[in-house]
Amino acid sequence: MTQMEILTGNELLSGATVYLDREGRWVEELQQARVFLKEEAEARDAALAATKKTGRVISLEVETVSLRDGVIYPDRIRERIRAEGPTAPRFDRQHLDEDGHVSI
Amino acid sequence: MYRYDEFDAAFVKERTAQFADQVARRLSGELNEDQFRPLRLMNGLYLQLHAYMLRIAVPYGTMNSRQMHMLAHIARTYDRGYGHFTTRQNIQFNWPKLRDIPKILEDLASVEMHAIQTSGNCIRNITTDQFAGAAADEIIDPRPVAEILRQWSSLHPEFSYLPRKFKIAMSGSPSDRAAIRFHDIGLQATTNELGEIGWQVWVGGGLGRTPMIAKLINGFVPHEHLLAYLESILRVYNRYGRRDNKYKARIKILVHEEGIDSIRQQVEEEFAHVKGGVLHLPQEELDRITKYFAEPQYELVNETTIDVAREKIVNPPYGRWLERNLNAHRQPGYVSVTISLKPIGGAPGDATAEQIDVVADLAERYSHDELRVSHEQNLVLPHVKITDLPAIYAKLVEHQLAEGNAGQITDMICCPGLDFCSLANARSIPIAQEISRKFGTPERQAEIGDLKIKISGCINACGHHHVAHIGILGVEKKGTELYQITVGGDATEKAAIGDILGHGFVAEEVPAAIERLVDTYIARRERPDEPFIDTFRRLGKEPFKEALYGSV
Repeated sequence: MTQMEILTGNELLSGATVYLDREGRWVEELQQARVFLKEEAEARDAALAATKKTGRVISLEVETVSLRDGVIYPDRIRERIRAEGPTAPRFDRQHLDEDGHVSI
Repeated sequence: MYRYDEFDAAFVKERTAQFADQVARRLSGELNEDQFRPLRLMNGLYLQLHAYMLRIAVPYGTMNSRQMHMLAHIARTYDRGYGHFTTRQNIQFNWPKLRDIPKILEDLASVEMHAIQTSGNCIRNITTDQFAGAAADEIIDPRPVAEILRQWSSLHPEFSYLPRKFKIAMSGSPSDRAAIRFHDIGLQATTNELGEIGWQVWVGGGLGRTPMIAKLINGFVPHEHLLAYLESILRVYNRYGRRDNKYKARIKILVHEEGIDSIRQQVEEEFAHVKGGVLHLPQEELDRITKYFAEPQYELVNETTIDVAREKIVNPPYGRWLERNLNAHRQPGYVSVTISLKPIGGAPGDATAEQIDVVADLAERYSHDELRVSHEQNLVLPHVKITDLPAIYAKLVEHQLAEGNAGQITDMICCPGLDFCSLANARSIPIAQEISRKFGTPERQAEIGDLKIKISGCINACGHHHVAHIGILGVEKKGTELYQITVGGDATEKAAIGDILGHGFVAEEVPAAIERLVDTYIARRERPDEPFIDTFRRLGKEPFKEALYGSV
């Protein structure tokens, strides 16, 4: 199976879980994440470096995912829960504040 | 209760201002995350899965109503209207925003609270018996000494960068309700042959990936030498504790590898230098601190007993609550009341802002303005007149706080697990909820009797699963959450570490597996009041293993 990766982290002000999208924005929605193929490692590392420079996304991680009928599905349970918010008690995930939007 | 002196107030105020400045510098970009992270952790601010988490210290689990109201205010104003009480007798908020942290710390400082040393490789919040200063079986109220230890260990320059975190627990009673044998240092009040009160010192206990029962290092240390003795232990640990491997850095590993006799000898050598010096605790200082913990002005009351059997007939839920949630008080006519934070199907340890306010009001009105957090994630009104119990119960019912299940199967310790914690491998709370629902009827709980289930979502064991009668440990295997079950642990003075019975179960199988263990116990106990742990000790693990996995 082709190894695919996404970039994720937490936004500095709110701590909200965010993903790097195709336009270089850090967004809340997992399904908008840019999926990096194995041969895109250079682009992935460049995006990580650019993000670090902003200082606005912390706990940066590269997560492996698969595509299931076009839906991004993280390999780790941890990541699936991070994307959705706590399952018990069920809480809405943390959202970005108005000034919480970060781009690279 | 202890009140801050000028030094305490100044130091907390200064630290709050310092951290506000550090947050401002982080927000402006002057500090990067590598620089900021250790600073935020020193102030109790973690980053968890979904958001920041602020852990607030509740020294030795004691608060007054003003402090409790402030926690409700913080929950309401800066978080999502609830807080989570922990096994460290602390409270955690799961959703604060970075910009709000300085305001939260200012609010806390205004009621003599903070979040300092709730993280990092330092001496953490000192924990104790939730019934301290009230329990009928107590030798001495441990809180004055706990307060002295708090002062000694706060920002201690020598012990701010230990090899690893360091936890001290104390019990003033021979019945250990503070799990002291599973802490780096456990202090147990005792008397010597002259009838003087001092401290047994236990060292090298712990849970986590290498659970250990503490060893007795000294059978009697008088109050005046306790600080010097503890300083000596910390110095030996600080010098020889491993810094090359965080998994081997706790003092339990040092004690295990070196042997208690060798550690004792080194501590004694250090003690010989330190004893009688600046850490000598004068009686007048102990007396001064003890005054803060003076007994409340109890009333002399006529009614000194409760007819629980009668109440169980007249009003069964109230009768059950009386039977399970009261602890004997040293003062005739008084009891300590456990307020369960384990509603059937709820998240263990969670309380809404409204509930926090209600408990604060009850403490102010009925418990001499005192309340406690227990390491079993419940709240306690320590000094309650028996005649006030009906009014308290009615208020608790009104606010869904009247579960009469203390010490029963649904009164579980449970870590936040993978729903919140960045270290966890598996979820804990949904497992607790399912077990709670499965065994939640009063009849079933009464049939089972005393039984402690504790659940951890990873091997760090924040849910104390090793010392549960039935322990549950969540692990992740090939993308699936699996739960290992242990049996026979005990956190009390009869300390024991549970045995793993076999392979893990998927989440859906866990409640049924627990039921097979419970049914085996009920079938094999000698009499209805033989507790689960006694049956286990009599029979060993085999019948329980067979119940889970069948005969091989």
